[in-house]
Amino acid sequence: MTDEELMLAVCRGDQSAYQTLVRRHLKSISHYAFRLLGNSKDTEDIAQETFLRLWINACRWQADKAKLSTWLHRISHNLCVDYLRKHSRVQTRDFLEEDADNRGQTLRSGAGLHGESASDVNEHFDEDDKLGKLKAAMVELPESQRSALMLCHYQGFSNKEAAAIMNVSVKAIESTLARAKRSLRKKIAEVENNIDNTLWGEEIKTQQQELK
Amino acid sequence: MTLEEFTKIIEIYGSSSERWPVGLREECENFIAHNTAPKELIDRQHELEMLMNQIAVPEFPGLEAKVLDQQLPPRKLAPLDRFLEWLLPADKPGKLFWRPAMVACLPLIFGIVIGNFYNFGIDLNSEGFEYWDDELYVLSLNDYTENLF
Repeated sequence: MTDEELMLAVCRGDQSAYQTLVRRHLKSISHYAFRLLGNSKDTEDIAQETFLRLWINACRWQADKAKLSTWLHRISHNLCVDYLRKHSRVQTRDFLEEDADNRGQTLRSGAGLHGESASDVNEHFDEDDKLGKLKAAMVELPESQRSALMLCHYQGFSNKEAAAIMNVSVKAIESTLARAKRSLRKKIAEVENNIDNTLWGEEIKTQQQELK
Repeated sequence: MTLEEFTKIIEIYGSSSERWPVGLREECENFIAHNTAPKELIDRQHELEMLMNQIAVPEFPGLEAKVLDQQLPPRKLAPLDRFLEWLLPADKPGKLFWRPAMVACLPLIFGIVIGNFYNFGIDLNSEGFEYWDDELYVLSLNDYTENLF
């Protein structure tokens, strides 16, 4: 059955159709909420609330205006944004804790255990370091940049769909995405010991001059 | 195409050419083929994307059960929706077929009742026009004139 048929059934109060929709969309919604909030407990609360709203507002969904996944992500996005504003960035602890655990494991596993040389371990550590830095950089991104990045990169939405979810223009999404990626690149560059430590934009200008 | 324009494209759409706007794809590919700087930009963007892909999300083993077990409130339907739900219930449409049939008859019954109380300018004292019998005769769509004479 298509999402549209299931939603019609949910609109009539069909609980089995609701269950099918939950099974179909829960993973994507919970992943999005986790990537925005960064902790499991709040992610679960947001996911529950999102599907509760699906049940309550099923009759309001218009298939010709938005896909169901877009509509659900919009509900989830609004709930996450409300949550983040209320709790002003107490979130994202799980992200960083998990990262610290992983890095600890890499160190504990050592060179001898897997037959890796010291340089291999160093390389792993560099990679872990980059990953850790990237996670931290993502946490530091403004909420709009993080949302745009999550929707387009991880959730696979087009810029137009992401704009509809975030209720902004496509142009705004595009510039938000560009800023987010530039910011992340800058953080990674810091780890890579890029001594010049310049903004990507400045590097582009230099490269442009070279091209000329 | 300038490097700045190309940078914007990969920042917005990513390093994979499949995601680039179709109209600009060929131009971008030509630009890459003739310059080294865009290749470096793509490599750096690709590296960032690969790193981003390594960030995993944990499993939420009990979440599905939690969502499915939560108490769903009875939905408040609009009066028209409630009437339609009563008229054509989704679960047993065959058993309750009398409901739409009855509703379809309502205008007819209503018309007969109203016609019995109001004359709507029709002179009921005219010869040969006798309330119910005549009204039903008219409703039967027969040629009424043959009865009048």
